[in-house]
Amino acid sequence: MNESVLNLGAAPGERVAAVPVVRNPKLDQWICYWSIPFFYVLFGLIFVLLARIMPPQSPTSSAADIVAYMQSPTLRWGIALLALTLGLASMASGIIVVQMQRMKGLSAALPYSYLAALAVAGVPGCLFPCFVFALGGLRPEYSPEIQVMLYDLGFLSFVGSLGVFTIQYLVFAIAIFLDERQIFPKWLGYLTIWALVTEIVAVPVWVTRTGPFAWDGLLSFWLGTAIFVGWEFLMCVCLYRAIKNQPIEELEHHGG
Amino acid sequence: MNTRDQSICLWLVPFFGVLFLLGLAIFPGLFPPLSPTMGAEEVAAFYRENVAGIRTTMILFNVIGIGFIPFFMVIVVQMMRMGNPSRAFAYSYLSAAASGGTLFALADLAWLNAVARPDRDPQLTLLLNDLAWLSLVTPVGFIITQNLCLALGIYMDARPRPVFPRWVAHFNIVTALLMVPGAFAIVYTTGPLAWDGSLSFGLRMGTFALYIAVMFFVTRSAIRQQAEEERGVGLGLQAIA
Repeated sequence: MNESVLNLGAAPGERVAAVPVVRNPKLDQWICYWSIPFFYVLFGLIFVLLARIMPPQSPTSSAADIVAYMQSPTLRWGIALLALTLGLASMASGIIVVQMQRMKGLSAALPYSYLAALAVAGVPGCLFPCFVFALGGLRPEYSPEIQVMLYDLGFLSFVGSLGVFTIQYLVFAIAIFLDERQIFPKWLGYLTIWALVTEIVAVPVWVTRTGPFAWDGLLSFWLGTAIFVGWEFLMCVCLYRAIKNQPIEELEHHGG
Repeated sequence: MNTRDQSICLWLVPFFGVLFLLGLAIFPGLFPPLSPTMGAEEVAAFYRENVAGIRTTMILFNVIGIGFIPFFMVIVVQMMRMGNPSRAFAYSYLSAAASGGTLFALADLAWLNAVARPDRDPQLTLLLNDLAWLSLVTPVGFIITQNLCLALGIYMDARPRPVFPRWVAHFNIVTALLMVPGAFAIVYTTGPLAWDGSLSFGLRMGTFALYIAVMFFVTRSAIRQQAEEERGVGLGLQAIA
């Protein structure tokens, strides 16, 4: 929308609302951007320290250990914090889609796929498993059978929600490879393929309870997590550069 | 482009709103809400005795459960009209609204399954009951993100005539804060923060209802403003021709 159209919005003689002084013309993008490290610091606090979901508890724990884990005092505090802040992940999608839309040689189909895939992923891959753990903690009177089922359901949903993330990685990698402007570097596309592969490597969590392919295994959990952490970090670096290098003229409204 | 589609989505709000209130009015477990301190036998007995009422409400909610999504998408369209440098907040809002809707759908399925076999093991009915209440009351993070993104978009709206007035941004922040206590129903089973508590349940649901009502009127004004401006542009173009 150009400025002449915008000016038609104010009728003659009408008090024009004070135009906010935007010192930083990319402020909206930076707010969404910084929500990502903020969220991942919280994510670490919640999943590693408070709820102890990462690294995962053992798939072969005894029923007594499982009940004790569910009753741990900080588990539900962590999950309450997650219920409060998981929406921040939507802001990460928001900013990534804005930068993907700057790519040349592709339509909005891939950015929109990225947005939709992650809007789906947040519940089965993150919030639902946590709710399941919280239920176990909230009700010590559940029978041990139910506690054990909740434990399995929680960890298997958390580590084993695969397809929702493979599609996110797939559309992101395809977009990077097709992009003629190199908004994100090609090597990030290759790394994204590796992140996708780690999801496939985790398929056996649904079959085996011991060894490297179990839900706490060296390949299913540790390799996948290591590559995910590396991917997320380098993604943040590339996203930072993409926003930084975006020419001001390209912005929809630059305070002018 | 006219704004008729947006008006239709907007008027779905009172339509679904009335149906929601009707569903709540006939839901047996609401006045007061079922307490999280009830034991398995007690909960199972409650479901056995109230099959018809729970089923009627939850079949209705199954059908209309995400009825406010078209309204939230009108807000996304209006956010895209704002004088913001990018659409980052609008996309974030869209994503958060989609994620939030799934939780309500999940809660509804748990309630319907609890009455699908009222004579099952009381422990299992208790489990479905707990899953339903937690999924309804606690995932406030999505609506909070929606409100914060909308507020930020309004604060940064550089148009001479903003899409939403500034007080709508303040209102969104305040309502986001009032819904925060809902998350702590995961931690507490008694007192104001439990899922039947005055803060986690009463304040959160009341705030949401007020929020939808207020946003209905301000969004209606924003759509009217858009229609007016586009008529203005049309007239301007005619004058040039």
